[in-house]
Amino acid sequence: MSTRSSHAEVAVPGEPTQTGTALLETATGTIQGFAPINSIHQHLCAFHFYAHDMSRQVEAHHFCAHLNEDVRQCLIFDSPDASARLIGVEYIVTEPLFLALPDDEKPLWHSHEYEVRGGYLFLPGVPGPVERRDLEKVAKTYGKTIHFWQVDRGDALPLGIPQLMMALTRDGQLREDLAEDVEKRFGVSFEKERKNREYMSGPDPGIHPLANAAGKGLKTELRETELAPPASMSGVFV
Amino acid sequence: MASSGEKAGPRTAVEGGEGGGGSLPPGRGTTVGSHVLDKGAAALQALRPVRQMKQHACSFALYAHDLARQVEAHHYAARLNQDFLQCAVYDSPDSAARLVGVEYIVSDRIFETLPPEEQKLWHSHAYEIKSGLWTNPGVPEMLQRPELANLAKTYGKFWCTWQVDRGDRLPLGAPALMMSPQAVDLGKVRPELVRRRDEKLGISTEDLRESRVEMEEPEWINPNADYWKQHGKGFAVDAVPTEMKRTAPFP
Repeated sequence: MSTRSSHAEVAVPGEPTQTGTALLETATGTIQGFAPINSIHQHLCAFHFYAHDMSRQVEAHHFCAHLNEDVRQCLIFDSPDASARLIGVEYIVTEPLFLALPDDEKPLWHSHEYEVRGGYLFLPGVPGPVERRDLEKVAKTYGKTIHFWQVDRGDALPLGIPQLMMALTRDGQLREDLAEDVEKRFGVSFEKERKNREYMSGPDPGIHPLANAAGKGLKTELRETELAPPASMSGVFV
Repeated sequence: MASSGEKAGPRTAVEGGEGGGGSLPPGRGTTVGSHVLDKGAAALQALRPVRQMKQHACSFALYAHDLARQVEAHHYAARLNQDFLQCAVYDSPDSAARLVGVEYIVSDRIFETLPPEEQKLWHSHAYEIKSGLWTNPGVPEMLQRPELANLAKTYGKFWCTWQVDRGDRLPLGAPALMMSPQAVDLGKVRPELVRRRDEKLGISTEDLRESRVEMEEPEWINPNADYWKQHGKGFAVDAVPTEMKRTAPFP
């Protein structure tokens, strides 16, 4: 079964990895420490869309680690394959931590309740009962997702500025072709899973009105800034 | 408006106080239950893209909008081909390290194909490597040498999503563009940051620099990279409200 997504058509420009380089990396991969990476224990598949454009949607493979019981950090790739492109990051926090965020920060975060209860967010390869024990927690969390590589518009390289992403919040948003493609490739049925997840609930007081781009939209813009002069720095430098 | 630049206004429980290093993220200790779930899932899931990260490099980065703000950065790099690496960047090499951003690294050949507007967001690596600031912990210098000579000719694009150096206990604001250390005053890394790193890793940046004196340098560095050097300007990213193009009701 191929898990390769339709996004993976455009090859990253460059020569194939040389043997010497590959050998060196096999060596460094064995000798060096990779503790932060080794903390990553979970693969989660979901969908994101651009915070300024719901029509542009991306299949997002999250590789997540717990920083503690309330905070997770995820690397987002465009597929679960070895050749996957690193397209973004997501941070996930429980509700109390979300509530403590400044009000001008909250809109950058999105709720997870709908996509979890809807069955659209899943752990490939993990049996339902096990998956659900974690997802019932995820349903109550908020996430902040930033993408750096706009693979959905065919970019062969990570061009441009970071993009804020949002998640599904109700029926009718997710593109049917994307949904069907993922269901087929991973052998899952969102509709079936929805029934199993009916018992789950989102944040107890409901979804915060400032989350999900405060119900509007968000975009990023690049700005040139003046640099502070070096006068403040003194002493001997490297 | 949330910006990658400095935040004005009162601090909350999530924004830290002065000082570098930042404080721990808020939250309870990871429960046994979560550990078990994690391990269980990991046993069933291949996590292939993450297994491709086979190089750990430690270096320093400067905020593009404020070069005086400097951080130690631990890169975990996966190679997609001879000309391209993608890195998850953390603030330390420990298991509890915070994911602070992502860096992409391309060869000079690939860099030259980018439009000038894009090139401005990238930085060069030659100085960082030749000065000994960049090191691959645990790898004998001679073994690293060929790879370092290649990396010295590459360009990087580094977005920081968690500004731990200003004490943020959670990732706040829009992402910040980062730049690399350079040979001019504004681009130099503060000695105490280097000293602290060297002590932790048991290395000497000074010794590395000496041993790399003979290392090949790129003949030419594209002047669009390290934009602040030629133009005296930095970059910041702002997150601004806008009307979302919708295909269905939202939220």
